Amino acid sequence: MQSVVERVLNLLIFLLESPTPVTADEVRNTVAGYGGQTDEAFHRMFERDKDVLRRLGVPLKREALDVWEVDFGYTVNPDEYAVPDPGLTQEERVALSVAARMVRLGGSHVGLDALLKLGGIERGVGIEPLGADLGAEAETLGALFGAITERRPVEFDYRGNERALSPYGIAHRRGHWYVVGAAAGGEERVYRVDRISQLSVTGEPQSFEKPAGFDARTIMDRQPWEAGPDAEIEAKVRFEEDVSWWAARTLGLEEPKGELVASIPVANRDAFIGWVLSFGAAAEVVEPAEIRAEILARVLAAQEGSS
Amino acid sequence: MSTSSRTVSRLSRILALIPFVLENESADVAEILERFGYTEAQLTKDLNTVFVCGLPGYGPGDLMEAYIDEDAVVIDAADYFIRAPRLTPTEALGLLAAGMAVIGAGESTATLESAVAKLTKAVMPEAETSLAVDLLDETANTSRLREAAAESKVVKIVYRSVGKEETTSREVEPWSVFATLGRWYVTGHCRLVDDERTFRVDRIRELELTDEVFQRPESIPEPGVGYSPSPGDVTCEIELLPSATWVLDYYPVETLRETKRSTIIKFLSPDAEVPARLLLRLGADAKLRKGEEVAARVAALGSELASIYQ
Repeated sequence: MQSVVERVLNLLIFLLESPTPVTADEVRNTVAGYGGQTDEAFHRMFERDKDVLRRLGVPLKREALDVWEVDFGYTVNPDEYAVPDPGLTQEERVALSVAARMVRLGGSHVGLDALLKLGGIERGVGIEPLGADLGAEAETLGALFGAITERRPVEFDYRGNERALSPYGIAHRRGHWYVVGAAAGGEERVYRVDRISQLSVTGEPQSFEKPAGFDARTIMDRQPWEAGPDAEIEAKVRFEEDVSWWAARTLGLEEPKGELVASIPVANRDAFIGWVLSFGAAAEVVEPAEIRAEILARVLAAQEGSS
Repeated sequence: MSTSSRTVSRLSRILALIPFVLENESADVAEILERFGYTEAQLTKDLNTVFVCGLPGYGPGDLMEAYIDEDAVVIDAADYFIRAPRLTPTEALGLLAAGMAVIGAGESTATLESAVAKLTKAVMPEAETSLAVDLLDETANTSRLREAAAESKVVKIVYRSVGKEETTSREVEPWSVFATLGRWYVTGHCRLVDDERTFRVDRIRELELTDEVFQRPESIPEPGVGYSPSPGDVTCEIELLPSATWVLDYYPVETLRETKRSTIIKFLSPDAEVPARLLLRLGADAKLRKGEEVAARVAALGSELASIYQ
């Protein structure tokens, strides 16, 4: 009995060496490991093996064999199969190996898997082994990243709501991964990746254009209240001396001597009010009046609901 | 790991090994073991697998050659595997993000930066503007704390606590400094509470290294950054309307009951301040169902805020 590993290796060799697409029947009759199966068992096996090839990064394609699209064959182009050579120097390979050992994605060192394909992991040289985990599900992130690079729209469930997105980029910021893109109407949207479930890549490659000048790095500089559904307004907040250093640090401002009065752009009022109230009574929204009124309404409602 | 994940990782390593050996004739066994993370038994097993695979016909001339010859790994007749398969999106992301995170941590070198640039260009040209990784801030305090931990020196910190949102001065015996979920933490013995504590480095306002040397514990407990309940904790029950269920993602709460109309959670915290501030923020979207201390704090802080905003 042949092992799955042997069968998949033989299949891959057959696909790489065939100048034209091969049908499932040809695979069944030619490649070692597929013979002597019932139709059903063969198809199950073949489906599973194709899935394994895709997960290995093999660009397996299904093509029509005739103009009527009756018969289909499978093919792997050797040029597309091969990993491009980045031309790394020995020192650069060591630096990447150290980084990949330090940083995990959702608990696993997926960067090291990448290094294997680029010629293996180099021994580190005298660098302190620090540990860092970027969190999140590596598989979801990988699928999103794949969709971004191929410019394919995605659909997913976001806290119980169906969402469709043309993804432009992903960013890791303060412990969370975010995906940025455009909703069906073209408005920019930001979603937290750890709240995404049932992700499916739905559209064809190159289905949309990324806006010129888009840079995922800019979304990292934003505060939660700077991106949101509300029309942008400017709020003025006074922070007492005891907390002004912490507010200034969060806002990226110079640390003040005494109290701090800051003008803050707000596009997500809910997030903004939540942040201001996290200071208790040590921070006060000075203006606009409408946000003051909303805070008062919430406070009164909370007092009523908690008594 | 599932059977198919094991199959994928075994194949992935074989498809990476073959090109390396083809390019580096008679590669040293010890080097292969280290470079590809193999044990000798695993390497032998994989070479034996390669040895029985090849082109249809599967006669002696159709199969690949793979064996260990004294201290060298030999693979031949495998020209179709002259290059490894391209990176999957997850692999490319993992390696690029690792490189970018280290650069962002201020641990970067020109070598790493050029490596990340070359890699981006070769494997994922889109990544240049589509991927951004910010791991850490406060590298000055981070490295000073690491120095203090390495030399077992007591530090004095002015710290804004996460659980209570208050600022305190403490003496801490730092044991280790680590990063997780995008932030740096220091764990150690806090003399203020006379117990083990974990601090977020970005919340340290002032840091002073003293000359006092402390006795490190024989074994350092595995650091945890999550909130772990203790006997003196304040407990309350909160009913959340659907518009407020995001709270479940942000706070370590226990869901007691869930209906279409609302979700009831149990909220544990070191004092009443955090749930009180949360309730005030949620306004009509939440109701406190149980918890006298929290109710008292909502009333007191609520009155204070009401007089500010009236």
